[in-house]
Amino acid sequence: MLRIRFDKFRLMELLAPVLGFLAALVVLLIITMIVGETPGNTIRAILKFTVSNASRLASVFSVAIPLFLSGLAVAIAFRAGVFNIGVEGQYFIGGLVGALAGIYLPLPKVIHLPVVVLAAMAGGALWAAIPAVLKITKGIHEVISTIMFNNIALALVNFLVNGPLSGRGEQSLEPQTRRILSTALFGKLNHWFQAIGLNVPNHVYLDYTLIVAIIMGILAYVLLFRLRFGFEIRAVGTSIDVSHYAGIRVKTVQLGVFLISGAVAGLIGMQEIFAIRGYYTFQIASGLGFDGIAIALIGRNSPIGVIFSAILFAFLKQAGYGLQLYTSVPNSIIYIITGLMIIFIVIINEIVTRYIRALRKKEAA
Amino acid sequence: MSDTLLAMEGITKVFPGVLANDEVSFDLQPGEVHALVGENGAGKTTLMKILYGLQKPDSGTIYLRGQATSIRNPRDAIAQGIGMVHQHFMLVPPFSILENIVLGEETHTAGILRMEEPTEKIERIMRENGLPVDLSVTVAELPVGLQQRVEILKILYRGAEILVFDEPTAVLTPGEVDDLFETFRMMKDQGKGIVFITHKLDEVLAVADRITVIRRGKVIETLPRKGATKAKIAELMVGKPVLLEVKKETVEAGATILEVRNLRQTGERGTAVLAGVGLSVKAGEIYGIAGVEGNGQTELVKAVTEPVKLDEGDVLLQGQSILSWDVRTRRDAGIAHIPEDRQRFGLLLPFSLADNLTLGRHHRPPFVKGSQWIDSAKIRESARKTIAAFDIRTPSETTPAHALSGGNQQKAIVAREMSFEPILLVASQPTRGVDIGAQEFIYSQLLEARQNGKAVLLVSADLDEILSLADRIGVMFKGHIIKELDRAEATREKIGLYMTGGEQDAAH
Repeated sequence: MLRIRFDKFRLMELLAPVLGFLAALVVLLIITMIVGETPGNTIRAILKFTVSNASRLASVFSVAIPLFLSGLAVAIAFRAGVFNIGVEGQYFIGGLVGALAGIYLPLPKVIHLPVVVLAAMAGGALWAAIPAVLKITKGIHEVISTIMFNNIALALVNFLVNGPLSGRGEQSLEPQTRRILSTALFGKLNHWFQAIGLNVPNHVYLDYTLIVAIIMGILAYVLLFRLRFGFEIRAVGTSIDVSHYAGIRVKTVQLGVFLISGAVAGLIGMQEIFAIRGYYTFQIASGLGFDGIAIALIGRNSPIGVIFSAILFAFLKQAGYGLQLYTSVPNSIIYIITGLMIIFIVIINEIVTRYIRALRKKEAA
Repeated sequence: MSDTLLAMEGITKVFPGVLANDEVSFDLQPGEVHALVGENGAGKTTLMKILYGLQKPDSGTIYLRGQATSIRNPRDAIAQGIGMVHQHFMLVPPFSILENIVLGEETHTAGILRMEEPTEKIERIMRENGLPVDLSVTVAELPVGLQQRVEILKILYRGAEILVFDEPTAVLTPGEVDDLFETFRMMKDQGKGIVFITHKLDEVLAVADRITVIRRGKVIETLPRKGATKAKIAELMVGKPVLLEVKKETVEAGATILEVRNLRQTGERGTAVLAGVGLSVKAGEIYGIAGVEGNGQTELVKAVTEPVKLDEGDVLLQGQSILSWDVRTRRDAGIAHIPEDRQRFGLLLPFSLADNLTLGRHHRPPFVKGSQWIDSAKIRESARKTIAAFDIRTPSETTPAHALSGGNQQKAIVAREMSFEPILLVASQPTRGVDIGAQEFIYSQLLEARQNGKAVLLVSADLDEILSLADRIGVMFKGHIIKELDRAEATREKIGLYMTGGEQDAAH
């Protein structure tokens, strides 16, 4: 009896992002009409580029993988009230450290693959460690320090790839590292999907990072909801005062969560580096770390929620290309829509949360 | 009825899920103190918020001097002669008393402040109401009792005829309470009406002319002071007979559990907040710390429950120095703590009641297996036991803590700390903001802890609480224990004098 009622609350919570999405869609259609497109055209363009065939659909999922990792990295830190805005820098450094392990460590494939993954995580954690230590020892707010460390990271990889780690002359004129050894390269999983009857074309990247992402998602869930440390992470994120009072070592939790967040962040660039390019360059896609903040927000900082919000963001990214290609609506409209959607979802979430709280109070009274 | 100052008739106010006021009628005559009593959440505050224009009633009418009126906001209320002294003062600390009083109602000529007229007016008000203060002193330097006086002057300056006092005595020493009641009497003589909200039934009987009891949003009864007794009022408030007298069994005190030696600590402003506090608490003993708030009690509790920077001194638990121990180590060693500010420190509100009832022990078996895995079945099982043992009202143990009523949240905190089987229980203002029913529960829990051989350090600003529970009493004043008394030799008057540092006066 009680169970059913709690499920009702759950359903209302899940409905909030859907409503936000629909509201943003309405605004999108209004804007496109102002620009001079018919709503039908717009919707057709979006659908054509996202879900019209297996290739498009698989691409959405491919794009969603790094977005998921980014959202997850931010969400874990958010759970402890730590604002890791430095995911951006952490994946540039993590990717570089992973790539170095892939280039310079001659190892058999079965060992080399986990080693590069762990190296990337170590790199991300290392880059998160400095702001983390500054925060817990000197009280320097992580928002400030991580933003600065993003810029430092970009400058650093730029220097390293152009200088000491340059593989130029070897095979390319573009600034890049040497090629990653074949034992460390990420293969595609497309044939697995084809084997179970899903027609995923070969040019789409559904590669080993999908496995990495799934493992990370499961680990994050177990950490947050099954382990004592995760309980303390959530407690600290709810109230530092209560946590301190209850004997939770708040600073240890903050340090730990910062490192874990950085480690997950280190994986974001792996798809592009190990599956698509096969070498490292500072020109890998940037901005994914910032997308992660919005993805975590819409996913309510839950590992499961982040799956859906990452797919939603991937869908929007692809939709933006569709609009640009097939309509006169500029791609940048998608950024506006994304922003609006976040605002709508946050507002609707808040309304629903308050409503549920009032209902629960009534039930308890 | 034409000279009735205020009549509120048929006031109904519904919040989502709660009927806060249900057809409430309340009136106030000139020259009357009308006490409004009821448990937390009974609807007193809502009713007064409606009167002060902070809430809109769903139905009902307010009559001022016989005229139906509507009060849309506090500005309206003030303009119509209604003033309110809140529990939390609304003063600007760096401003002088004079500036605070005139703030918002300044007299000026072409933008230049003129203070002579207001000063004269305020001086007259001070004389007529027995509220002397030095107008040139800045509010930041004032003790709490005098700050309240400034609040009263503020509303009188604005011409209030109806004065609402929301638990005004909570922050006052016994002497200051007497002064306040004297002021009440002088205001009565001028024909003003006073609404007096309080939990303390002694005060109701001391000063009120009529008493209105509210329970669950309804007026239960309005009775004249004549013939009213504490037991009668308490029964009306709770809805069943209440045990007001605390029954204390004799307990042989055991070994010393907590020893505090010569604690000295310098506060943020460079003044000593702890100036050599020393005390010891034995097993099976309740040691009560009395004193006006802000005399070092909070810092003392902190030094016992968490690591702090001290200039000097030591804290020993069973003979072992615990100064360098963090909160977890201290809790593991058997120190439980009912915090003073339970809103802020007590509960993880979005978390389930079960999680909250094990918080602080959540890191140890049986609640974790293999040092890291949470055993939620055990947590829920333990919570169910605690809920039953302490009679916490909740739909289930998985209900989030924010869904519980305030009283049950308080109960949950006490229940958690007691269920830890501590050796030392630090209880800081354990019944602040707690209604009579819950107060009874907390008292019985503290006494049971004492009977079970636990050491209890009880810090309370409520003298009656200290006198009913403590075996020994330390009165804190300006960062040290100015006087330690055995329960047998302690009286309200004695403690009251020491609370204000009146050592010399008390000597003879």
